Formats: sequence, structure tokens, C-alpha cells
Amino acid sequence: MTMPKLIFEYDTKNTNHVPTVNEKLDLPEHLIRKDLTIPDINEVDVIRHFTELSKRNYGVDNGFYPLGSCTMKYNPRINEDVARLNGFGNLHPLAGDENSQGVLELMYNLEHILSEVTGMDAVSLQPAAGAHGEVTCCMIARKYFGKSRNKVIIPDSAHGTNPASAAMCGFEIVEVKTNAKGGVDIDELRSKVDSNTAMFMLTNPSTLGLFEENIVEINKILHDAGALTYCDGANMNAMMGITRPGDQGFDMMHLNLHKTFSTPHGGGGPGAGPICVKKHLAKYLPVPRAVKHGDGYKFEYNYPDSIGKVKGFFGNVGMLVRAYAYAKAYGKNLTKVSQIAVLSANYIMRSLDKYYHLPYNKTCAHECVFSGEKQAAKGVHTMDIAKRLLDYGFHAPTIYFPLIVKEAIMIEPTESESKATLDSFIETMKKIAHEVETQPELLHNAPTTTPVGRLDGVKAARQPNLRYEPVCRIC
Amino acid sequence: MNYIPITDQDEKDMLALLGLKNIEELFTHVPAKLNRDLALGEPLSELELKKHLQELSEKNNVLKYFRGAGSYLHYVPSAINHLILRGEFFTAYTPYQPEVSQGTLQAIYEFQTLICALTGMDVANASMYDVATAAAESMLLARSENERNEVVIANPLNPQYLEVLKTYAASCGFVLHEGISKLTDKTSCVIVQQPSYHGSIEDLKQFSDKIHEKGAMLAVIITDPTSLAIIEPPGSFGADIVVGDLQCFGNGLNFGGPSGGFMAVKKQFIKKIPGRLCGMTNDDKGNTGFILTLQAREQHIRREKATSNICTNQALNALASTIYLSLLGKTGLRNVAMKSYHNAHKLQKLLEVSGFKLVDGSKPLSAGQKNADNICHETRDKSFYNEFLVETPVPVKNLNAKLQDHGFLGGVEVAENKWLLCCTEMLDDKDIEKFVETVKSVK
Repeated sequence: MTMPKLIFEYDTKNTNHVPTVNEKLDLPEHLIRKDLTIPDINEVDVIRHFTELSKRNYGVDNGFYPLGSCTMKYNPRINEDVARLNGFGNLHPLAGDENSQGVLELMYNLEHILSEVTGMDAVSLQPAAGAHGEVTCCMIARKYFGKSRNKVIIPDSAHGTNPASAAMCGFEIVEVKTNAKGGVDIDELRSKVDSNTAMFMLTNPSTLGLFEENIVEINKILHDAGALTYCDGANMNAMMGITRPGDQGFDMMHLNLHKTFSTPHGGGGPGAGPICVKKHLAKYLPVPRAVKHGDGYKFEYNYPDSIGKVKGFFGNVGMLVRAYAYAKAYGKNLTKVSQIAVLSANYIMRSLDKYYHLPYNKTCAHECVFSGEKQAAKGVHTMDIAKRLLDYGFHAPTIYFPLIVKEAIMIEPTESESKATLDSFIETMKKIAHEVETQPELLHNAPTTTPVGRLDGVKAARQPNLRYEPVCRIC
Repeated sequence: MNYIPITDQDEKDMLALLGLKNIEELFTHVPAKLNRDLALGEPLSELELKKHLQELSEKNNVLKYFRGAGSYLHYVPSAINHLILRGEFFTAYTPYQPEVSQGTLQAIYEFQTLICALTGMDVANASMYDVATAAAESMLLARSENERNEVVIANPLNPQYLEVLKTYAASCGFVLHEGISKLTDKTSCVIVQQPSYHGSIEDLKQFSDKIHEKGAMLAVIITDPTSLAIIEPPGSFGADIVVGDLQCFGNGLNFGGPSGGFMAVKKQFIKKIPGRLCGMTNDDKGNTGFILTLQAREQHIRREKATSNICTNQALNALASTIYLSLLGKTGLRNVAMKSYHNAHKLQKLLEVSGFKLVDGSKPLSAGQKNADNICHETRDKSFYNEFLVETPVPVKNLNAKLQDHGFLGGVEVAENKWLLCCTEMLDDKDIEKFVETVKSVK
């Protein structure tokens, strides 16, 4: 298939979305821009261009998207409509509390919903994404300890954002191994915790898709040493109404509203990464915070121990509106969301465990992690399996993560898939396992039904072409 | 509401395959169980939900804005929503499987090109959270380049951005100085807002040379990127890093977010830039295609040695901006800028006649910025774009209160008698005249 034109290759008459202005600028000549190289394109061409691009994309709306650790659940349309209501979409962030009572009320109530779901005492909705929530928690740990403690312990199964966030705040990263059962190696953890330990960062359930069975003890080990514990809440979709990080003993955590609370992933954001903390850390939360004030609400800035602001204005508020709508739609039935998410993951795991190696053979949480090593021994790798799935019309699972599983295939079905969809995916995975035995070339050559085949990543990195040169005047 | 398609019978069948009697058995090994219902009330139907959110939204007041200060109401063409609401775009995630993500990837490539063209820089990334965090990331980039940790804020900076910079500085080990007189050979980077928070267009050519002589880097924050249609871009006077916000490019106000930030740098910093980069390459059959590239900078590969922790960014906002710039083109963007410029200048002239004196927006006002110098006093003559600062004959509070009664959101109260006003193309002559009339009625 040939690639669509780039927008820069069009040249049609301007649509005039805004009135024409012919007046002069009263600015010093050398400050006035002489050339603007972006093209004029008529609206019809713009619509066709981006419609064509959209046809070369795959979203949850196109089909099953079992991307582990990302919780690619259905994005309800009502949430898109309510976020665009005039009172939310066209509200100026500096309109003042008196003009923002509705959104303040929404933020205040969303904080309480998230507190109830996580078992935490206080919430900041400000961080823009999960990693941003993580670094905000690291900032709190930094403020809490000052320079007195400098070590952050992180399991080898963690998302890369955990060590990257802690390193941004100047912490030294110490890794702790995962044991044979897929949990934290407690003996090793004990040996690494000391009076220099500021924080332990743990994803629960883990990136292996397993609940940490010793979590209460782990939190105690850290607390006995005076350290803080942080839960990476990327996998909250396994826990709602079942168990709460606050009750497990964590001091703080972040949530990904674009995972658990269904706000759309948008091709890579916008997300929202609220953080939830226990009482003793509430005073460090970013400002401002939405608080009750008389019969209404206001933004309160007067928290002298706050780490300060981590983002302009108040966060990705439009995503908060969507997440609030999602939480209100389910109410107490959010428990069912997590139950079915876990059921669906276990259903896939047990339907495929004879075909793919299961490195941790036990009940999983909301996702299951296979290893493609059986297939790799036959010369077909996880990458090939992933690409073959694209040919069958599915999105690929997360692959080669967590790093501690060889040839990892991480499958997260979420609760929003029918049994028929799950069955069809399972049958396809079985078929692919069979193809590995009988027609491995089908996998080596995959994908063949997509707009492009496998792309040359080495060339992309060695000879970076990151922009269309004719439009850029300075090189 | 219920977005779970699994039926009760399905649930039974699935449990049977697992050899379980009920769904609770999936959680027997889970510690610290809640063992009660979540106290979140009964579920709502879509109808109830819509009414509830409608009621909440109506508790907010949308006014006619003469206020910017980091959030600018520009016209958003209808086509943008229609396109970004295509499910193939907004329900997708990060294009890790490029074969089924060519739409997102090509749009990122086009976005990177547009940002380079507008800023005059060499390399732009796929987006940041917003301009404030992008500015914070520019401190990290500069430090990784020159291993210095002192940052100088050169001119009046939007307090939203300054507060974020202070937070990052305290946690990530930077020392912030305010005022260009603090530039030394220990300075890592100098941050300048263009136009300044108080509206003045800064003339940065000589200034940039001075910074580079000290071995420091120049990071420019673009206040309202529609200004780039008429003002000489930072790339032409030697900026090393340029950051800005995508809010103005087709993303509406949304009470401050989601918008999105952009970052563009000189070519030599390509391996230091945070976030995602999309590159053009080809597939095994020679077809042109796009792929995320130079990922050895990123957290999922480099972990604690990554250039940044950023993962999810603001892709859909960047897509909206790409569509916005495609729809407006050079002609439309220039009209947006010209109309914004002329509206602001018309307002300023009318106010001047009524005793509102234009204040030099390059100079610091607040105690917090008292050490800042006027960085370009030689060449500028109170040039501003669409935002300006005036001294008011009556307290700003009184002005804004009266304006609110007439459906206007007046300017930001920078000080008791200092008023930061803004105009965009959304206002017309009638709005401006009525605004001035109302202002004049305040004694």
C-alpha cells in the first residue's frame, strides 16, 4: 500500500475559518516574521487526509486490544459528550472560584471517590499522567526526608518509569529480585532496607499479573525502617472493591485514569495520574487543593509544607470529568469491573496454558504473562507471534515486558470484552501455536495484511528523519 | 451503566473452566480484602448521568474573556472534533505496533515538522504534558548537556510556570535565580518567556549571544504560539530549546487541561530530548512508513538513566494541533494572529485615552522578581502581541467586579493597580467597545 501524502504536499485554497485581516503590524521590522511555510489546504482535503490516516490505525473501537499493563478498555461515548459541555470545555482556568463552582464540586467529589477506591486519605488530581504521578510521589518522599535518606528500592519487574522518576529526584536506585513465585524476594528486600532507605516502589498486582501475597509484611518491613512505601497503581483495574492499597499498608500511590477509569488513551495521551496518600503525607500534596468553603467550594493554596505545583493550572481536568462520569456510572458496581477483568484474564490463561509456557503457574490478577520460549526454541519469537496476531485482526499484547520473563507475552483483556471475543482470541492464539509447528514462515513474514510490513527500526535510528525538510527553513 | 458484555451464563461457563464455584474464589489468596461494598452509591443510567453532569457544568460561568495569562480562547474549527473523535485515533494507545499505528505515527511526524517550521528549530518531539512541565524538562536537558545546575529566569514569567519550575528545582536539585544579572559561568540555562508574562515582545538576538558566551543554554517559552505567525521565531536568534503550549492550537480551554506542551531543540541535542520521537523509514518491501525511534533515550529502555520519566504524553492534543494547523494554514494562522494583535492594540489605545497607562512588560513588578533586569531595553518600544499590562486609575478588583456583572471576565490582577489584559480573534469591535464603556463607568 502506498503511503498517503503528507499534509505538506497539498496546496489548495484556504477555507477561511477566521476573518481576513489586512491591517499592518506596528512592530520593529526585525521582529516581524517574514516567512511562514505551513501550507494552505482546503477543509475537504484536510478531512480526507486525516480520515485516510485514521484508516491506518487500530484502536479499542476496531477490536480486541489486549495490551498488558495498559488496560485498553472500552471508552464510553457519554464521557466525551459531558467533557465537552460548555461549562467544562470553555471554562477559563483563571475564571475564579465563584465562576468555577461546578468543576470544583466535581473535583472535590472525584477525590473522595478515589479515596474510597484506594483506601487512602487525601488525593491530588494534578499530575498529567502515570509517570507524572510517580515523580510527584518521589517529590513528596524527597520533601519528607530532605537529604537524610537517598535510596529507593524497586523490584526488577517494575515499569521503567519507576526508576526514571526516582532518579529525577536524585535518588539512588537499588533493585530487588523477584522470587520463584513471582513475588518480591523478602529476604533480599530485608537485606537491602536500611536507615538510608527513603522509599520502596511496588506495582501491585505486579507486572507479572500477580497479587503480592506478602504485601502487608513488606509494608511493615519498610515502615519498621522508617521508610515510605509507594504503590504503582497502573494495575488498579484488578483491585477495585476487592482490596485497597491503603489497607495493604501503602503510604501513597498513583492511579492512571486512562487505564482504570476508562478515559481514552488518545494514541498516547492525554492521561491523568492522580496521587492518593495517607493522612501523614497530605500536607505535602501539590497545591491548590479543592476544598469545601461555606455552601460551596474553593481552591486552597495555604499548605506551607506542599511540594508546590507540578503542572500548570489544575491538571488534565477534561480527563477528570470523563473519569468522574465513569465512576458515577458504575457507583458501587466498580467491584464487578475488577472481578470480571480478573475472571477474563484467568480464563485466557487457563485456555492457553497448554500452548504457551506459563512461567508463574497460579491464579493471576487482571493480566497473564506467558513466555514464548517454547516457540522460540523452534525459531519463532514473541515478536513474530505479535505480528501474526495483527494479521488476524487483533492488536498485539505487550511483549518483552516484564523484562524478567524471557520472550514475554503480557495479555490484559479488561472487563469490557465479550466471551465471544475472548474465545476468538484464544482460538487464534492456538492456531498461531499450531502455525509455529507447521508453517513458521507465516509468522516470520507477518504481518502481511497491515498497511505496512515490519519497519526498519535500525535505519530510523541511524539516519533519523524526524521532519519533512522542505517546510523547515533552518537546518 | 454497565459496559461489561459478559452475561451471567458466560460468567458461570468461564468459572467452570477454571474449576471455581463463584467469582470470589479468584481472590481467596488476596491479602487485606475489603469485604464490603464500596461506598460509592448506586450506579447511574446514561440519562441520569447526563443530567447530573449537565447540572454541574451549569454551575460554572462561561464569560467573554479579556483574560489570558497562559490560557487563550482561540477559535476551534468544527472539523477538529469530528476528526479526533474517530475511534481509530482516540481509542488507540502509544504506537508500539507501528504496522497498525501508521495513522498516529504519520500525524506525529507531521506535528514534529509543523513545530520545527513554526519555531525555526531542528528537532521537535511528539509532545509534553504542558508548557510548564516542558519548561521544567528543559532544565533537565540543559543540565545533562553542561552538568550545571543553576537556572536563570530572565524576564517576568507566568506564575503558573514559575511555581512548577520551583517545585522541580526543589526536588531535582536546581538553583533558580531571577534576573539576568545572575547570569554567570555557572549558569546552566536561561529561561525567557516570549512575549513576557506582562506582554512585551522581547528582542533576544544580543541577549542570546551573551548567554552562549557563558556556556549556558537559552530556553524560550512561547506564551501563545499563534504569535509565531507574525513574530520572528526563536530559532532565528539562537535559542537552544523552545517550549510552548498546544492549548492555543485547536485545544480549547478545558479549565487548563488537557492541552499539551511541545519541545523543540537544536540538532545537537537530539539524543537529550525527552519523550517520543517519530521517524520516517521503510518496511521490508520498501514502502515508506513511520516508527518511534531513538528510544534509547526513554524510560522503558534506559530506566533510571533515561533523559526523562515521561511515557504517556498528550498525543490526542498534538493531533488536534496538527489538524488545526492544517485547517488554518499559513493564511488562517496569520489572520488569527493579526486579529488578536489588532484587537489587543485597539483595546489598549481606547484604554489609554481613559487614563490607563501602558506598563513596560519586560520589567519585573513583583517582589519575587525584583532582581530581574529589563533584558532588551535598547530596542523595544513597548511592543506587545495580544496581551498587555496597564496601570489602572481605580483598583483592578473594582473593575473586574463590574465587568463580571456585564458578562466579561476582566484581566488578571497582577497588582492592586496593575491589570493584565488579553484579546484574541474571538472578540469583535462591539465587545471591545462595550468592555471599555463598562470600564469607564467604574469610579
